[in-house]
Amino acid sequence: MRGHRDLKWVCVAAVVAALVACLVPWEIVRLLAALPLAVFLPGYAIAAAAFGSQRLDPQRLAMLTLLCGLSLLCLGGIVLNYLPGGLRTVTWALLLLLVVFATARAAALRRGKPDGRRSGWKRPRLRGVDVACVVLAAAVAVGTLVFAYTPLPASKAVGYTALWMLPSKDAADPALKVGLISAEQGRRHYRLEARIGENGKPTRYHLALDPDEERVIEVPLNRPAGKKARVVVSLYDSERPHELYRRVTTWTAGSQPGEG
Amino acid sequence: MSSRDSRASGRRQGLLAAGPAPLALIVLGAAVGLLLCAYTNALSREGGDPTQLVYWAGVLLIVVPIAARISMEDVSLRERFALVALFGLSLYAIKVIRDPFLFTFPDEPIHAYNANQAMIHHGLFNGNPILPVTSGYPGLASATSALMSLSGLSSFTAGVILIGLARLLLVLSLFVLFTRVSGSHRLAGLAVVIYAGSSNFLYWGVQYSYESLSLPLLVAVLAAFAEREAGGPKLLRSWAVPIVLGTMAVVVTHHLTSYALVIVLVLLAVIYRLVRSPNPNPWPFAVFTAVLASGWMLIAADNTVDYLDPVFSGAITSIWNTVFGESEARGLFESASTDLVYTTPFVARLVTLGAVGFLFLGFLAGIREVWARRENKPFVWLFCLGAAGFFGTLALRFAPEAWETGNRAAMYLFIGLAFVVAYAALRLIREGPRLLLRRAALLASVAVVVIGGAIAGWPWDSQLAQPTRITADGVEIESEPITLARWIGEQLPRRKFAAADADARMILAPGGARAKTGEALAIKTILEESSLLNWELPSLRGNGLGYLVADRRKVSTDPGRGSFFYVPGSPKHALRPLATMHKFGEVPLGRTYDSGNIVVFDLRDRP
Repeated sequence: MRGHRDLKWVCVAAVVAALVACLVPWEIVRLLAALPLAVFLPGYAIAAAAFGSQRLDPQRLAMLTLLCGLSLLCLGGIVLNYLPGGLRTVTWALLLLLVVFATARAAALRRGKPDGRRSGWKRPRLRGVDVACVVLAAAVAVGTLVFAYTPLPASKAVGYTALWMLPSKDAADPALKVGLISAEQGRRHYRLEARIGENGKPTRYHLALDPDEERVIEVPLNRPAGKKARVVVSLYDSERPHELYRRVTTWTAGSQPGEG
Repeated sequence: MSSRDSRASGRRQGLLAAGPAPLALIVLGAAVGLLLCAYTNALSREGGDPTQLVYWAGVLLIVVPIAARISMEDVSLRERFALVALFGLSLYAIKVIRDPFLFTFPDEPIHAYNANQAMIHHGLFNGNPILPVTSGYPGLASATSALMSLSGLSSFTAGVILIGLARLLLVLSLFVLFTRVSGSHRLAGLAVVIYAGSSNFLYWGVQYSYESLSLPLLVAVLAAFAEREAGGPKLLRSWAVPIVLGTMAVVVTHHLTSYALVIVLVLLAVIYRLVRSPNPNPWPFAVFTAVLASGWMLIAADNTVDYLDPVFSGAITSIWNTVFGESEARGLFESASTDLVYTTPFVARLVTLGAVGFLFLGFLAGIREVWARRENKPFVWLFCLGAAGFFGTLALRFAPEAWETGNRAAMYLFIGLAFVVAYAALRLIREGPRLLLRRAALLASVAVVVIGGAIAGWPWDSQLAQPTRITADGVEIESEPITLARWIGEQLPRRKFAAADADARMILAPGGARAKTGEALAIKTILEESSLLNWELPSLRGNGLGYLVADRRKVSTDPGRGSFFYVPGSPKHALRPLATMHKFGEVPLGRTYDSGNIVVFDLRDRP
């Protein structure tokens, strides 16, 4: 690849990008490496290999880079699917590196000796006022994205509380896990009643939850083993204390969640 | 010219030269347009009912300046290319800012599930409980998993970036294709802008779905064909590389697109023969693609026929019944979902009909122009056929079960229509008297075509964002179906659920569990009826389903509208009778989860 600066840079960039993608923990940094490694570098190298010494104008080169890069991503997973390791960070990085190196080498061989011609690409002349305009546009676009990605209050949307019940696997004695998830618009007070068996005495809990708060309580099953009993957990909202708000039920014996 | 006039003209030139370049101003305009769209979406997400005028003004702020500049004569190829890229990405950004938190379009959670499964199992072909055919076409899941693996991003973010790249490829390829075929980058730029009038350009075509990736690949393959034809014998083999690579990618990504590619290549081969083109006939590529597509269908995606057969036979039966009066014609601008019908305002209907009118006039004038120029290129013939075919698909919109087939086919046929109409557009703004007026007429037509297309392709009530994630007391809370999905992902990730369409999709992604829905195992009937038949629940249990998600919201059966917060008063937030919920308690079944409108029943939890 001696003399073919573009191909040399593609290979070096691919190695650096692969290392960053595999070793760096921060998503945003990895994304900056992943995009060239996954799409642009292999796409460029494949296009270079296909066209050898033929110079492509920027429009066709851009289209071919994207076409080849995206096609490789669609097909690469199928290749990796049948190789040991499957689809993983390392296998993807290795596959893409392999493609970049192989096609860059093929491109260098097809091009032959560098002809010394300068690239047809001319850097556009930028004036201060244009740069200012584009920077302002970029600032507006970034601000727009930040604004769009910021959740806002919605007073008309109806909040809710979710009540759930599952067998507890962590408790030493048989017990049920009862959970409460608040997605209400403000802090709410609740009364929770758990009744085991038709004639059982209800156990009461008084709770207050803020929006997005979750609470899990363990309800012990003080029942003789083998006898089926219905467990009913009812939730009452303190604003309407006599009106049932939520209810979950189960049967203690044979009430393990199905294997579906 | 007097010396005063020449001084004034010189001052004007000086002022223009000192000001920002048109491209820089257009970039700024597009950014402000996006801000307007984001603002209207934010108001809509707050649960309000903002006027859509501001939103459409934002869209026009992107479209019109680009259309104005791109249609000018003295614009360089490089600038036009940059404008086309800006156009594609800016309009894509409208969809991104509409749904910034998670996938809500009907097919998106299905494909996000496939990508997540590829990450979990480190392999493809993991099956899909809602749309099994998608698992046999893993191109999108493969590409997304590459970005997810290398960047550590979620399937949502990786998918948004991937579809953005696909959209960029689409507009660049269209530009290269149209430039090569017409020999004019001015016409090509205009044709790309007109293509945005396709009903699926703004929303459907950029959802995270396999067709959103395969269509750009198809267009790029066609562009490579056009280049190959023009490149001469020396470059025949060079262009064959991207053509073969792109074709293979299309075949493993989407069934219908691969068949569309076969049809296009066969048509091209026939046209080459008819016009006695001196260039090499593309029939070997047509055979190659046909063998590849059918081979893939037989080996890797053998359920494709089962999936497509009801779609096409239903469409044909529906056309037959509508034509012979055995069933009622579908009302235009009506989006039927369960027993709710959403209508489009009169003005919006007028804009859409105006768009079709402008396109038809453009088609007639364009065909006349092509005829006058004695165009003998195979691609021009192909585009003319496609343009004529587009108006055929409009008739399908009257048949209830065929309208979607017509709408989807239009995405492909509109490529030809955009090209033909661009001929007419260019003729309209040729040098001569009243040029300014004619240019204004062209820009107004383009605006109507783009907005009309968007209205035709996406329900009026769904153009703006709905609340999925809001803040309450300074913290974030999510809608009922999403909270359910996240709870399932945490507590019951390995279980199988029967649920309404919208809930089932959320259970797939972000929930990550398996869910069946719709007509499968009569789930739709079971959820909607007021009493149960003896065989219904045993049938669900017998098919391995462990839980049933009952949802009182009528929109829960609408995958495009059912994943948002409940806002009372809106017609789309009607509730089903309580009996639809109580029937499960009478069986009785254990209630595992209750969030008000949504209750999860444990199918095996019985006395």
